[in-house]
Amino acid sequence: MLHRASGRAERLISDPLIGILGLVLAAAVVMAFVQPTFLSLSNLTNIGGAMLAIAFLSIAMTVVLIAGGLDLSVGAVMALSAGVAAAVINNGVPLAGAFVAALVVGTGVGAVNGFLVTRLEVPDFIATLAVGGITSGFLLYWTRGVPILGYMTPAYEYVGGLRRLIGPITVPMLVLIVLALVTATLLHRTTIGLRLYAVGSSAAAARSAGLPVNRLKVYAYMFSGFVAAVAGIYLAGRTTTVPPSMGTGYEISAIAAAVIGGASLLGGKGRVLGALVGALLLTLTRNIINLTGVESSWQTVLTGAVLIGALLANHSWGDLVSLLRRPLRTAAHTEAYPEPTTREG
Amino acid sequence: MNASTARRAASPPGGTAVPDTPLLRLRDVQKSFGNVRALVGASLDLHAGTIHALMGSNGAGKSTLLNVLAGLLEPDHGSVEIDGEAVTIGNPQRAQQLGLRTIHQELSTVPDLTVLDNLLVGREKESGAGRFGWLNRGRTARQLSDLAAEFGITRLDLATEMSRLGALKKRAVEIVKALASEPKILVLDEPTSGLEDHEKEALFDHMAQLRRRGVALIWVTHHLDEVFRLADVATVMRDGRSVATTAVAELTHASLSRQMFGESVELLADRPAARESGCSSSLREVPALRVHGLSRRGVFKDVSFEVRSGEVLGFAGLAGSGRTEVARVLMGLDRADRGVVEVNGRTVRYRSVRSAHRAGLAMVPEDRKQLGILGELTVAENISVSRLRAVSRAGLLDRRKENALAQSYVEDLRIKTPGVSAKVRNLSGGNQQKVVIGRCLNTEPTALIFDEPTQGIDIHAKAEVYRLVRSLAEQGAAVVLISSEISELLTLSDRVVVMSRGELVGEVGEVGRRASQDEQSVKDQIVALATRAA
Repeated sequence: MLHRASGRAERLISDPLIGILGLVLAAAVVMAFVQPTFLSLSNLTNIGGAMLAIAFLSIAMTVVLIAGGLDLSVGAVMALSAGVAAAVINNGVPLAGAFVAALVVGTGVGAVNGFLVTRLEVPDFIATLAVGGITSGFLLYWTRGVPILGYMTPAYEYVGGLRRLIGPITVPMLVLIVLALVTATLLHRTTIGLRLYAVGSSAAAARSAGLPVNRLKVYAYMFSGFVAAVAGIYLAGRTTTVPPSMGTGYEISAIAAAVIGGASLLGGKGRVLGALVGALLLTLTRNIINLTGVESSWQTVLTGAVLIGALLANHSWGDLVSLLRRPLRTAAHTEAYPEPTTREG
Repeated sequence: MNASTARRAASPPGGTAVPDTPLLRLRDVQKSFGNVRALVGASLDLHAGTIHALMGSNGAGKSTLLNVLAGLLEPDHGSVEIDGEAVTIGNPQRAQQLGLRTIHQELSTVPDLTVLDNLLVGREKESGAGRFGWLNRGRTARQLSDLAAEFGITRLDLATEMSRLGALKKRAVEIVKALASEPKILVLDEPTSGLEDHEKEALFDHMAQLRRRGVALIWVTHHLDEVFRLADVATVMRDGRSVATTAVAELTHASLSRQMFGESVELLADRPAARESGCSSSLREVPALRVHGLSRRGVFKDVSFEVRSGEVLGFAGLAGSGRTEVARVLMGLDRADRGVVEVNGRTVRYRSVRSAHRAGLAMVPEDRKQLGILGELTVAENISVSRLRAVSRAGLLDRRKENALAQSYVEDLRIKTPGVSAKVRNLSGGNQQKVVIGRCLNTEPTALIFDEPTQGIDIHAKAEVYRLVRSLAEQGAAVVLISSEISELLTLSDRVVVMSRGELVGEVGEVGRRASQDEQSVKDQIVALATRAA
């Protein structure tokens, strides 16, 4: 029993997420002293609100990355779904109907991504980039560049987190928590989750093990589209207007958050909790930059630095030193000949 | 890095070496990864004009030592001397300058470049590349086409992308590439794995010729027979240490394997007497697997055979003769244009690999790294993944059940792993192979296809795989065994069919009995069939 507990503690300490959480905590502690408003309720809910959209999308991205794919269309899908929800409400349809419409559109675009990647064998990067472009272009054409307005109702203000439920808790926070739990359960406790990891680890091996590789990939893209639509429904409520430019650049933040959280662009890796921590780190960075009034030209520089710092925080200090001391010219080779881990004698 | 040693790069291969100074001397080389001590102390004297076998079971530290010699790893401790002068290898380019070339077991060629371009990389100067980096492909082709041809690489192949070659030709390209730079010291890591017998012969001829020219060869191999044929000296490694260096002339099979494993092990030579009766007694009306008139355009045609329950059917043939391709169709990975596959008398309707599994077919695929293991997944997940029904209810995984299932396979198959939740990519090759076998058995197959099941695994693991194949057949499975090692086919099969150029060209029956009487004549018969049409 004791042995088991110490094993667990050891695993917790060696978990790469600890480094990033440490980074987050350190930043928060420093900020609490430097800028007392940082810990004010209004700022904290502000962080929470800003984090939500990225958090949703990073969960979507994590699932696609685990299955060995990549979805560059999530930002555009989020925007289109937001637009659909808003426009449907403006046509007098009740909230629930509008949400269903947005979710159907998002999932549908995800299915198109999946079809292109699996059936037509378009590389995922290009397929989802193109679908993202088409999606946001469609939104622009449809709205003629005019933001969609006037769809807000008191009920939608709850959905957008503008009205709180109990204390600081808002509806989208609960939705995020439920979605995260459901996704984590899906990934780790169900057959489909295990199969997604298998497909991402090696599509060829998964195929010869008898897994329906293409179908699983389509599921992953559809899931991504669905979650992007959830994010769109939320964001339309939070911003109270849907400009055609909504969602630009979110896909990159989502990838960054997922990778900070342990996902790999090579597939087969990633976890929901990691994605959430990644999203938190990105949002926190932006918030700190705003609060401390860093000059705007430095903002992107700082964000970039934090990104690299976060990925390096995945390594132990000793790892970093040996990485740096490694002769430059061998660096590229170590991947091809990985160091052996424990083997039998 | 030691700059003064750079001059040595220019010294000609062999020739000038004084016989008493070793060309390469390793003293107490040590290397650890974290807490794992991969090399505890390796020492080695390598003389010019000798073939020096480096032996040891998986995990003995050979790969680490090789990576040190290739300049991929820096030792924590110990010295490396070349021609009596201490050197730091540091990186692969430096190793080449020092005249050290390594042919790794894992292929190091670039899949999307042509064979010619792969040969060209790293020898731009010799090929007459101009000052502005212009490539001279024609010259390289002229320089290397003779050498390449000896390893079966035609002029047409030179213009083909690596990714379109089979495993065998890829290996040949690797060898040609290393030989082209005329190294002083050539390190070969299991160079014969995946080679056909006649290609092995070609390689051995080359090794002997290199020895005559004064090149020193370090040769990692699991095949004792080959060592006794060709090597001059053998160094055995165990648990990260070099435990013995002996002239091969003074060694016997038994003494060498005792050095490798610490005790004398039961080797693969025992041909089971029980098997001879096994086949005839289990004759049944309906064959477990019946294939009739199977064709796939441009790949193979009109392949028909039957395998009965309890029988091992060997598939012999050269690489590219269509054996693996037949197996892929049987498993539903590729489609047949014509033909019928029946399992226990029922026609298999192929839609995917899963239809094959449902029908009772399972395969241990050829390319373990690419098609077999799911590296990021655990041992337990790798075993259960083909039949998750058994460990789940309504789509919900029962991890405890999954682990228990995996644990039973780990024990049955004697898989050496820290635990069922260890990632498969951290296991050694032989144990990865056993995990894949476990996955196949978990689908409860009627017929099992093994495609080159012992490629790249050590002699211990090989013996265990042999034991497994036999016991599976004894338990009533129908086994199809594809192998390029004829002795493997003779050891395990009841019957051997031979493929050549996409067609079944012959059959050799009662293999067990005949091979025990006159092994060589059976081998000759198979080789004759396999090469007749070619």
